[in-house]
Amino acid sequence: MSLINYSSREINCKIVYYGPGLCGKTTNLQHIYSRVPQDTRGKMISLATEMDRTLFFDFLPLELGQIRGFRTRFHLYTVPGQVYYNASRKLILKGVDGIVFVADSQIDRFEANIESLVNMHDNLSEHGLSSEKVPLVIQYNKRDLPRVVSVPDLEKELNPKGAPFYEAVALRGTGVFDTLKLACKLVLKTLG
Amino acid sequence: MVKGNWAVYEEDFYSMTLILQTLMRSANSRSVMLIDKTGQLISTVGTQPDFDITSFSSLAAADFGANAELAKMVGEKDFATLVHQGLDDSMYLSMIANRVILVVLFDRKTSLGLVRLKAKRAGDELLIVLNKVFDKLHYKNEDIAATTLGADFAAEAESEIDSLFKD
Repeated sequence: MSLINYSSREINCKIVYYGPGLCGKTTNLQHIYSRVPQDTRGKMISLATEMDRTLFFDFLPLELGQIRGFRTRFHLYTVPGQVYYNASRKLILKGVDGIVFVADSQIDRFEANIESLVNMHDNLSEHGLSSEKVPLVIQYNKRDLPRVVSVPDLEKELNPKGAPFYEAVALRGTGVFDTLKLACKLVLKTLG
Repeated sequence: MVKGNWAVYEEDFYSMTLILQTLMRSANSRSVMLIDKTGQLISTVGTQPDFDITSFSSLAAADFGANAELAKMVGEKDFATLVHQGLDDSMYLSMIANRVILVVLFDRKTSLGLVRLKAKRAGDELLIVLNKVFDKLHYKNEDIAATTLGADFAAEAESEIDSLFKD
């Protein structure tokens, strides 16, 4: 849920990057961090294991600037993708305004995507949120790899409700900003 | 549920900030913050900390969230207060109205007992203000943001997003 402070004239929104382990959620944030102007971004926090796997979350605050007199900020979070960190995932979803679901396009990870998506719906409903009401953008990542599922097949299994999607190669930055921009716009539409 | 259902208006913001200032002085603490439980800073008073307050807020909320889950595991409803004690600097965190986290940063000039006592009192006062805020939001329904931010807010935001986030 966004927080609108009429006194300090600030709006803060929370976008969560969800998806199976090693699908590229952290890579998305790292690319955003490396490309946005310094005065736009805050400090990126990564609570990761020694092996660089996300343990609790990554956090990146972005400042959009003044919109109609309101300083508008987006707080980007990633969840830990590994199955056994569900308690952490559930916590991060608390108060979410918009979700980017990062799917791993590789054939071997097809089942992991479905599992993660089902898990996301379960966790949202535990917070009393319906996935239809939370703005969602799907990102089909790792499109450059050789053994990937076709986009129509991914769409059929992962996106039956027709949420907007982008193809991406997060490691090179392809599709990263398209995904973020749309997620931000969808969230702000729920406000204004 | 996801609509802007949590908004703080000027008079309530000042009431809350006043309570924070009183707490800071009476507890002899360094600074006091009020953070939404999803990790967004609402207000801060006292010595401006030399760390990133935005990151601090998100970590404090995560800290509370993780501890609430731990509480459930050991059969408690929640851990309403947390204390992190360091060699020189310490922090006291307390959840109010299950919605905001009160954070008191203090050093060796004061004692945990005094901080706890004064924070408890401030928490009771904040609860009154917060209940007023929630009542207002309840009456104005969930579309509160849509009516006050204006219809062209999203349009203006879109062009800002396009110019800012480009490869």
